[in-house]
Amino acid sequence: MPLPNPSKGWSSSTSRLLALYSFLFVAWSSILMGVLYFEVSGYLNKLTRHSLLQRQHLFAHMSGKQLDDALIASQAFEERSFDAYGLFDAQFNPLGGQIRQVPPELGLDGKIHELSRCLDADDPHLPRDSCDAVAIKVRDGRWLVLVRDNGSLFVVTRIILHALLWGLSLTIIPGIAGWYLLRRRPLKRIRAIQASAEQIVAGDLTRRLPLSARRDELDMLAAIVNAMLDRIERLMHEVKGVCDNIAHDLRTPLTRLRAQLYRIRQQAGDDSPQAEALEQAIGETDTLMARFRGLLRISELEDRQRRAGFVELDPHGLLLELHDFYLPLAEDGDIDLQLQMPEQLPALHGDRELLFEALANLVGNAIKFTPAQGQVLMRALSDGDSVHIEVHDSGPGIPADERGAVLKRFYRSEEGQRHTGFGLGLSIVAAIVDLHGFELEVGGSELGGAKLVLHCRR
Amino acid sequence: MPRVLTIEDDAVTAQEIVAELSSHGLEVEWADNGREGLAKAIAGGYDLITLDRMLPEVDGLTIVTTLRTLKIATPILMISALSDVDERVRGLRAGGDDYLTKPFASDEMAARVEVLLRRNSVPLAQTRLQVADLELDLISHEAKRGEQTLNLLPTEYKLLEFLMRHAGQVITRMMIFEEVWGYHFDPGTNLIDVHIGRLRKKIDAAGQTPLIRTVRGSGYAIAEPV
Repeated sequence: MPLPNPSKGWSSSTSRLLALYSFLFVAWSSILMGVLYFEVSGYLNKLTRHSLLQRQHLFAHMSGKQLDDALIASQAFEERSFDAYGLFDAQFNPLGGQIRQVPPELGLDGKIHELSRCLDADDPHLPRDSCDAVAIKVRDGRWLVLVRDNGSLFVVTRIILHALLWGLSLTIIPGIAGWYLLRRRPLKRIRAIQASAEQIVAGDLTRRLPLSARRDELDMLAAIVNAMLDRIERLMHEVKGVCDNIAHDLRTPLTRLRAQLYRIRQQAGDDSPQAEALEQAIGETDTLMARFRGLLRISELEDRQRRAGFVELDPHGLLLELHDFYLPLAEDGDIDLQLQMPEQLPALHGDRELLFEALANLVGNAIKFTPAQGQVLMRALSDGDSVHIEVHDSGPGIPADERGAVLKRFYRSEEGQRHTGFGLGLSIVAAIVDLHGFELEVGGSELGGAKLVLHCRR
Repeated sequence: MPRVLTIEDDAVTAQEIVAELSSHGLEVEWADNGREGLAKAIAGGYDLITLDRMLPEVDGLTIVTTLRTLKIATPILMISALSDVDERVRGLRAGGDDYLTKPFASDEMAARVEVLLRRNSVPLAQTRLQVADLELDLISHEAKRGEQTLNLLPTEYKLLEFLMRHAGQVITRMMIFEEVWGYHFDPGTNLIDVHIGRLRKKIDAAGQTPLIRTVRGSGYAIAEPV
């Protein structure tokens, strides 16, 4: 039975926690930076307007040469050309300053306007993007245009964005690395647990899940499972002990019964009126003994002590022998028994006698349930290094809803009631198949009856 | 008269073994524990030993091993109640000659005892087997009934050889399946009967005296017609 693979469709709680923390951190820092940006930009905007207002007031009271000198002097202090001015005559012809043209969007009302596109000028020192600007008419009738660039605001935005970017990358990159490292170790331990669990599932009940020295949640879980396994193992032993005792207690009386009946039959002689009844009683005892041996055999197989005897064997020889063994029986029942297999088949790893027994059961059943003039087909197919052995028949088949049940002990389909058989055959097959780690598939055949496929995987 | 030692702790089973073997004309002695059994077996003079696998005091397997170590080659039929599949292999490897699992039929047991007792009656070097006018050449694998050459399949040849090597003895279906096919499970249906039927058709053709006899409830025997 395959266990779920932890790397497919399963996520570790560590990665989920890390992802959640990362998301929260990103959200928190974005909000922090957003608020900071909003506050700082509002403040800077206010400062800009204030400075423009101051200049407006200052220059509004000047005129003539005094104004020209003051403007030139103010510009001399401006290193980073956040501020600029332009002096125009009454007809808006430029007289001085860096601004050679009144911005078209600027209203000539003496109020501060925020312009989205500031100036069309080639001078790289002049603000181009958004700016605050004001046009005032000074006392001597000239027009003065004052501009303050909002550049400092952009710088602040850039600084905040950079801070955010650095913060995120310094969080996310080590976060991903940490996630990978943190996730690897628990996954490695899960794989170790899975490997042990697979051996337990395969029948080794003495195995336990590995515990580490960390004593963490995984260890707690493993310890709980181990305690459960201890209990299961003990119960299994008890049950097996009881079964073995019952078997042992039954074996001797059965042997005695058979022996005594046989003795009476010998003494009675062939002409005795009891001879026939005694024959029947012996026959019934033999059936009982065969059924009993079948049951014992299944529990032996379920003990799985025989894997040590597994060898590499050629399926050709096995199938040919099986075909030869059953051919006379099939011919006597007027059934066409055929064997189809390719020339090359990969070797099987298993116990020859047990595989012969399993296949003999399948072929024997197929012949038993196939009416005269029917057909039974044994077919082997290879697929990579696996072999698939199919047994088809043209009998009544197995209804789809009974296909799972036929492998259970003592099950016999309604149709099968007319035939003799112990109902244990397919259970023995199932036990053998299980012991080998193979798979048995029950289906419908193209011949009209049942199809049983033994998937022999490496 | 061949002497048989039965080592068996269950009195009723032992009585049945003794009764069955006595009825076959054998002289049987019974030991009900391992220690006594081993002492008797070593003292010798027996032609065969039937040995229970699980015994009080000295275990069956130990008895076989001890006897074989002492170079006592008396044929041993092991009778076991142990259900382990490997148990047969272990018993035979230790030096047992044949192995029977409980519950067993006493005629099956007797047939096996007879075969073991007469195991060496056909010398290994013999190249021909003969029963009445049926001849089997072990070198050329050729079978003849009178002047008529029989066309046998490999399995049929093996089956006939097994029967003829033990001519006059009852051979059970289980023994046939074990010897001819080499398997130890119960093939269930009347498969062995069908194979015997085939062989019979070839050997005992119409008008000829039948040589293969069915022994009711037990098995088959090939013998000179009486």
